[in-house]
Amino acid sequence: MELQNIWKAYDQKLEEARVLNLQSWALNFKSFEAIQTQKAKSKLNSLARFKTWVILAGIIWVAFLAFLIYHSLSFSKIFFVISAGMIALFNVVAIIVYIKHVIWIRQIDNSESVVDVQQKAAKLQTSTLQIVRILFLQMPFYTTWWFTPQMVTSGDLKFWLISFPIVLLFAFFSFWLYRNINHKNANKKWFKILFNSPEWTSVTKAIQFVKEIEDYKNDRG
Amino acid sequence: MTQLTDQESFLRLIEENKGIIFKICNSYCRDKNDREDLAQEIIYQLWKSGKSFDPGYKFSTWMYRIALNTAISFYRKEKKSDAVIAYPGNPPDMEDKTDRSGDMEERIKQLQDFINELKALDKALMFLYLESKSYSEIADILGITETNVATKIGRVKEKLKQHFSTINH
Repeated sequence: MELQNIWKAYDQKLEEARVLNLQSWALNFKSFEAIQTQKAKSKLNSLARFKTWVILAGIIWVAFLAFLIYHSLSFSKIFFVISAGMIALFNVVAIIVYIKHVIWIRQIDNSESVVDVQQKAAKLQTSTLQIVRILFLQMPFYTTWWFTPQMVTSGDLKFWLISFPIVLLFAFFSFWLYRNINHKNANKKWFKILFNSPEWTSVTKAIQFVKEIEDYKNDRG
Repeated sequence: MTQLTDQESFLRLIEENKGIIFKICNSYCRDKNDREDLAQEIIYQLWKSGKSFDPGYKFSTWMYRIALNTAISFYRKEKKSDAVIAYPGNPPDMEDKTDRSGDMEERIKQLQDFINELKALDKALMFLYLESKSYSEIADILGITETNVATKIGRVKEKLKQHFSTINH
């Protein structure tokens, strides 16, 4: 086979040219151990560390909300209690999803098949979207925390014509985003505008890669 | 290879397979600094995974999986050359210094250029094919069926034929 002959000639050339100096480097094993420590800060591990920090921040935020709720338990502050309670609930769900991600990161094993490992890693990146869509659901509750029972019962026109429609608008958009933020819509214009910033580039690339892997497995690529 | 956790065995492993590491680095990185960084990463991943290596498992499959997974993940990160971690010791020399005069050298270069243009997973497939791995081992390393391997290799070879004919005409 001619191709493999070319490849063997390449092997031969590598050997003749003695281009590989890996062993002399690896022989310095103390240095290698030091590199290991640095390498422990590799991308996936740093992602796990970042997510762990977010989990801790999330726990502090939920604890703070719980503290406020506990000290607001009265009928006059019912809207605040419900709003803060719902915000806390969505954050708890997000924290649970983040914990699941950290477990996934720890479970990635490079000695599994290439397609499986790459699929897991890419899906992990895209799963960030899962958290975003959950967190969008808390949006309308940021518009209701300051309501009072009196505003609802007094028939105040400003409340019914301005504040209430704003709540409905936020509720509609947050639910719409929850339903539509997924990899199937990654090519839509609104999706690209929403996730245009550099920090989302790796996620949008991962979405494409997940599709590429699916096609690869099913022999469409 | 039964014990990968002692330094001597591990260094022998690196020595025996340095050509594979070099060629994988060359297939996934154009930049010399990136190749050095990827070589470090592969060696580190092999060392780290050595602790959990099952001696009953086929060694080459295990090694190719780790090296290719590391290379693809690295490739997807699109690392910049300034991201290289400083070496406490001498860095591995990953510069391709092979003599490239003559017809065969030209063909090697053409083949490398072609591999560089392939998508991440096709690069792995082509690499294993060129390493003369059987379809069954390629399927095991990549995690796809043998039929899929055969179809894809046929497709990539067809592309390669076109690539060479475009260059030569």
